[in-house]
Amino acid sequence: MTMQSTVQSPDQAPFLDVADPAFSVSSEAVMEARRRSWYARTSYGLAILRYKEVSALLKDRRLTQGSAKWPERNGVHGGPFAEWWSKTLLNLEGEDHHRIRRLLNPAFSPRLIAGLTDRFQALANELVDAFHDRGRCEFIKEFAEPYAARVLAIMLGIPESEWERMSNMSNRLSLALGVTIKENIDTIHDALAGLYAYADELISDRRANPGDDFVTRLVMASRDGDRLSDAELRNAIVLLIFGGMDTTKHQLGLALHTFIQHPDQWQLLAERPELGRAAVEEVMRVNPTTTWVTREAAEDFEFQGLHIKAGTTIHLFNEAAGTDPEAVPDPGFDITAERPPHFAFGGGMHHCLGHFVARSDMSVALPLLARRLRNPRIDGEVESLPRSGNTGFVSLPIAFTPAA
Amino acid sequence: MKVTVDRALCQDHGQCAIAAPDVFRMDDDGKLVYEPNPDDSLRDEVEEAADVCPVQAILIGD
Repeated sequence: MTMQSTVQSPDQAPFLDVADPAFSVSSEAVMEARRRSWYARTSYGLAILRYKEVSALLKDRRLTQGSAKWPERNGVHGGPFAEWWSKTLLNLEGEDHHRIRRLLNPAFSPRLIAGLTDRFQALANELVDAFHDRGRCEFIKEFAEPYAARVLAIMLGIPESEWERMSNMSNRLSLALGVTIKENIDTIHDALAGLYAYADELISDRRANPGDDFVTRLVMASRDGDRLSDAELRNAIVLLIFGGMDTTKHQLGLALHTFIQHPDQWQLLAERPELGRAAVEEVMRVNPTTTWVTREAAEDFEFQGLHIKAGTTIHLFNEAAGTDPEAVPDPGFDITAERPPHFAFGGGMHHCLGHFVARSDMSVALPLLARRLRNPRIDGEVESLPRSGNTGFVSLPIAFTPAA
Repeated sequence: MKVTVDRALCQDHGQCAIAAPDVFRMDDDGKLVYEPNPDDSLRDEVEEAADVCPVQAILIGD
């Protein structure tokens, strides 16, 4: 008899208790499960653990984006948040999704975003100037959060001084991603109303005074005689803020934390700023803020001998895929290495809309930080989110050696 | 107009098929198929497809 390297029956598959706040996608339990099998059963459904299968299922048309029922599953039926959520690009499928995506895409063109790198650079320098001479900072509060928020302000063409107000509304809206969504619903609705008012003001301003900016491009977007309605525009602007703020903030904190553990790579990045783009990719492979991508089976189907029932929640563990020895035999962190693409921006038709912005702003920030903050180290109490779902640091105090 | 997709880069995300459905589509196995010599009247949508490709795998020639 030969040993089978992969278990095929659901009963033999490993089990991962992903709903436990102590669960970590980087744990030995996940690595062990990945060695045994390409999937695990979880408290929600299935977890996909290996690169090849994550890559395939991410783009599989028999799966839909799996977040549409989130409010309902957590006791929120109807109301402004559920209404917004159901109409966001994230949760639309088929031609409804494609139509909005076609109208939004041109505003996110990489050619247009390339024109913003000087402003990203100036912003990063200004933020570093404020704490540089001290030789220490709380990286999330003093860099990652204002950087993420002010990049959005630059994109939206609003005064950068508004960032705290916008960030505050976005943070409160983000409570909707927690399992406590129902008890926080009043705060969430209040934040959503604030962001709607913000978006409405922007839309009417750019209609009256069109410029050469991102919001004007959205307002003017047309395709085959079709346009975005005011409600669709406002929905999209709120999604941009909601989707761009925490992700960028957390990815920057996670990036710095990874580099603190790999000082030689930080030094290399300081010396070779052209490695900024590769640094972003390598960090997102091993330490992504989005540790899994959620999908739902739209129909019953067979995949590699496994019967998957319609309605099954499927978590694609992109971090586990990124460190899968089958795909990346060298387990190290190396910003000069050739790597297969990671899936931290998701994939398929729901591939992250804002990834060119995120890639651009982070690839500007990281080499600049590496040059100016030498020898960074942890300097105090680190507070982090659970290492599952969307992760990151709440607080990341660091000390460093200032350099010009 | 000549369209080439770098198959070494292409990840079959399908964004091009959303942007330019007359030129790019995903087959039943989720793999990209495309028209390498589309009509010039489709240039705008092909350029948009090349622009939105997450891995920038689409090249347009004359």
